[in-house]
Formats: sequence, structure tokens, C-alpha cells
Amino acid sequence: MNPLLRKEMRLSASILSYLFIVFGFMTLLPGYPILCGVFFITLGIFQSFQSAREANDIVFSALLPVAKHDVVKGKYQFSVLIELCGMMVMAILTLVRMTVFSGAGIYRQNALMNANPFFLGMALLIFGMFNMIFVGGFFRTAYKFSRPFVTYIIVCFLLICIAESLHHIPGLEALNAFGFDHIGLQLSLMLAGALLYVLMTVLSYNKACDDFEKIDL
Amino acid sequence: MNIVELGSVCKTYPEFRLNNVSFSLEEGKITGFIGRNGAGKTTTIKAMLNLIHTDGGEISYFGIPLKGHETEIKQRIGYSTGTLSWYPRKKIREISDVSRSFYNRWDEDAYRRYITLFGIDENKKPIELSEGMKVKFNLLLALSHRAEVLILDEPTSGLDPFSRDELLELFRTLKEHGVTVFFSTHITSDLERCADNIVYISRGEIKADCSAENFLQNYGYTGESLEEVFLRLEREAK
Repeated sequence: MNPLLRKEMRLSASILSYLFIVFGFMTLLPGYPILCGVFFITLGIFQSFQSAREANDIVFSALLPVAKHDVVKGKYQFSVLIELCGMMVMAILTLVRMTVFSGAGIYRQNALMNANPFFLGMALLIFGMFNMIFVGGFFRTAYKFSRPFVTYIIVCFLLICIAESLHHIPGLEALNAFGFDHIGLQLSLMLAGALLYVLMTVLSYNKACDDFEKIDL
Repeated sequence: MNIVELGSVCKTYPEFRLNNVSFSLEEGKITGFIGRNGAGKTTTIKAMLNLIHTDGGEISYFGIPLKGHETEIKQRIGYSTGTLSWYPRKKIREISDVSRSFYNRWDEDAYRRYITLFGIDENKKPIELSEGMKVKFNLLLALSHRAEVLILDEPTSGLDPFSRDELLELFRTLKEHGVTVFFSTHITSDLERCADNIVYISRGEIKADCSAENFLQNYGYTGESLEEVFLRLEREAK
């Protein structure tokens, strides 16, 4: 493990970042907007940014013998690590719902989104939004995070509302597929979510490096 | 030999300007950086650590420019402050464990030696340390990676006279081991006790950069103490 990620995990991180990965289990909740689990996982990452700021973490990191962009890289690596852990939990539980519980009435009679690959694609899209809006926004000042976090909350819940209700629009019923129905479409949507996640994360990382380089600490 | 050199460093803020700051640090000597609050000491130190962007000028360590060689230079220098503490709720052991992985010249024997010398308990957290112990902890990290230059921002501020004396004694010991010490202060007696050289800054401009002896000869009147010289110089500058 590289020293900066190790520093993030051992010194900068709030314990809540690790604990909130458990919100990935919301994937199993029947009759509940399961995409909210993604928001709670990002809320856990937000706590790490908060505790890091209180611990003068950015100045400590900038004084270490590392390039300034490595300080940014450490924060992105940590965020991505937690997001991928959350994704892993959600992906396993989605697979459980697609196989073991594919016929369960409690999930079938659900006005909200079903756990399927489209759900995972949307989760990745929201994580990408978090990286772009919040993490990227934080590095504009390396200090202020209220505005980027509030902006992210608004965008996140708008996306959740849209994703949870989209399948009620005539013609889009396939988005709420059960089991392995419409699997081609479902996997394509998941892949699109993954591509957007990578794109948003990489672009915002590059911008954050440029922004951080210009900041006076 | 000059181990650190600053040449015409400028930084403009809306309310303050660091104006053509130039001075150098002699290898193996203790240099006191004195000026009243708001004179530009911390801004200069931040520029020396590349924490702020200067508008102009050059900074070099060991004959190497800071720009473009920051990582390499930071392996060889140490920083400590009396005003900031890192990760107040993490154990010292944990902070040290993480820090050592960044330095390729980390000396575990030196670390153990200074832990004992400073009387630091690794199981304590920075929040549980006194101000003096916090400075010592920062120094511990700097000394354990065999820093050749120590840059210390107000290390004695907030310390009781006994702890201050202890710290200044430590500077003298470090000097004997060849470490170059640069420390900012607004307490003149700190300089009298251990500084070989004095850099005096007032309103963002360097007013003097010379040996402590020459400073009194060049700027003081007969019978004036260092404190009296500074007070008069500051009054005259108004």
C-alpha cells in the first residue's frame, strides 16, 4: 500500500467512513429507496474530510516529502476505496436479490427501484458525482466543504428520485427488471454508469490537482 | 557555507506585502528570525516550505532550487511549530508509524533516543500534551529523519520560562551535531540565549541579516540591550 493511502486510512479517516459501508446492506430493504445507501456511504467519506480538516491534515501532508498532487491523490484513493467497498457489498446483495430472491413477493410488489445492474450503474453514477462535486469542490480551497457538500446532496437526491421512479414512465419498464430479465440492457446501463464514474473521477482528480497547486495553505 | 538562501522573495496580500525578502542561513548555526506580530515571519516560513506561492524571488536549499526539487529537499529538512498540532486525537505511536514510511533516511535509533530524551510517551495523544511537549513531538519527527535544517515557527511561544530554556538548550545541542536551526520568535531573550545570527524583519522587509554580535554593534547604542534595540527600531519605523 502506498504511504499516502496508508496515511489517509490510519490518520485522516473517520471511523464512520468504514462503518457507513454497512449502509450498502440497504440494498436488501424492501419498499425503501435503496439508492439512499449510496448517499450514506458518501456521508461516511464526508466525515473523514471533516475530521481531517480539524486535524490540520492538509498542511501535515503538504509538509511531507511528496508532490502536492500526491496529497490530492491520497484523498481520491481513499474515497474510491470506500466507494468500491460499498459497491462490492451492493453488488453481492444485488446478485442475491437477482437469484435467490428473484421471485420474492416482498420485492416484486415494490413501487420503487429494484436491485439490478441498472441500480448498480446508478450507484456508480452517484459516487462519480460525489467525487466530482464534493471531493473536487473541496480542493478549490482545501478548507471549505459546506457548499460542495450541499450541492452534492441536492444533485444526489435528484438523481435518486429520478432513478427510483424512472421505470414508471411507459416504455422504461425494463429498467426495473427482475432476475436476469433484459440482462443485455441492464448490463449496458451498468457499464455506462461505470464509465461515467471513471470519467468523472479522473476529470475531477486532474482539476483538483490544478486547483490545489494554486492554493496558499 | 550557506545552506539555505532566499533571494528577493515577494508575496502580496490585500493587506500585507512581503517585499524582496533576502537572507541566507549558515550551515550548522542557529539563526533567530525576529519581528513583531504581523511582520511577515510566518509568511516567510510558509514560502520557505512552499506552502504559499510567491509572486517572485528564489529559494534554495543545499544549492538546489526549491521549485522543482520540493520532494527531495523535504527529505532533508524538518519543520515544527508551536501553534499547530497534527492529529490531536491520534496516538503519537500511530502518527510516528505513518510518518516514518515517507522518509528514506528515517533513523529508528535516533527516534528511540529522542523519545527518551524528550520524555515523550508514545501512547499519549497530541491533545494530551503540553505546548512544550507538542513542539518536542514535532521536533522528534523532524530529527528522526535526520533533518539537516530545522525550520521552527515560534517554537517558544506559549512555553513557560523553564520549558523555553530547555528547548533553547536543545537547539544548542543540535547545533553541536551539525544541524542548522532557523527559528522565528518575538521574544528577544531567546536570541540572546542561543542565536549565532539574527534576521530581523519589519513590515514585510528584512532590516538586518547578520551575526548577533554585529547586530548590536551596527544597530545598538552603547549600553542598549537587544530588546531595547528592537523596541527603538520598531518605534523609529512607525
